[in-house]
Amino acid sequence: MIAFVSGGARSGKSTHAEALARRWQTERGGARYYLATARGGDDAEMQARIERHRRSRGEGWITLEEPFDLLAALDRVAPGSTLLLDCLTLWASQLLYASPLDEAQGIAIVERTLAEARRRNVGLVIVSNDVNEGMPPDDDETWRYLAFLQQVHCLVARQADEVVQVVAGLPQSWKSQGSRQP
Amino acid sequence: MQLFIGGTRAGKRGIVRQRFDAAVWHSAHAGCALKAWPSAVESARCLVLEGWERWLAARLADEPSDDRLRQVMSTELDALREWEARSGGEVVLVMLEMGRGIVPLSAEKRRLRDLNGWLAQDAAARCERAWYVWHGLLKQLSY
Repeated sequence: MIAFVSGGARSGKSTHAEALARRWQTERGGARYYLATARGGDDAEMQARIERHRRSRGEGWITLEEPFDLLAALDRVAPGSTLLLDCLTLWASQLLYASPLDEAQGIAIVERTLAEARRRNVGLVIVSNDVNEGMPPDDDETWRYLAFLQQVHCLVARQADEVVQVVAGLPQSWKSQGSRQP
Repeated sequence: MQLFIGGTRAGKRGIVRQRFDAAVWHSAHAGCALKAWPSAVESARCLVLEGWERWLAARLADEPSDDRLRQVMSTELDALREWEARSGGEVVLVMLEMGRGIVPLSAEKRRLRDLNGWLAQDAAARCERAWYVWHGLLKQLSY
């Protein structure tokens, strides 16, 4: 089972994704993992954001930290468990700017992670952020990032069983099991 | 007439290609001028027009009045609808959503963003159906 949850900044997407992961764990059993793409580091703002997310998630999560190698993180997850990945925007920037990997390798990592999650019966909930509905970027580097991120978003949305856009805390369904695109 | 709207790299082109596989594309990205669409429909039953934000951007300097520029674009939309009625053809408009970010610092970009939003409204008002493309998925917008 794969779910994709996206929306604007502070739209409630993490809260919705956490609730979904809790529900999946209750229904499917296994452990509940949280894969943080954010590294604590020395940045006070980032630490505060991480701490806020940690508090709101509550108890019962096994936290994994992995900036870009999602497959390595998945290897640490017991089959049959539920894994929440929050979030793709940060993962994409770390892959492009803080790893030796390029876009094609990034896409390959996502494809293999989705396939392996299915094979290992891991319920994978993926959170991301909509950043493509404002003015198009006018510098090449931002274009490169946005093009890569959108490629990833389209790939995950296509493969996911459940796709939800969160607006003002309200989950709007784009795809659910058994539903068909118009 | 139908409208497909979505953000940058949302997957609009792929979806429209799939649904209108025999369409002729009149695209600003291929250097086509908006005014030149009548020559593109001579051989077409279905015409896709994309790159509206570029056509708008190209007109900003020559037309200082927002109202008049909005009117010019609306007249073009009306002409497309008339061609549909006259020929029994089909028009598909592909437009970029760009109004959901931070207000741009540059006055020119603010103007483009405003006009692009009005254009989308004016287009949707003239269409029988409007679709929102989001991360490669499609949803029909309700009227």
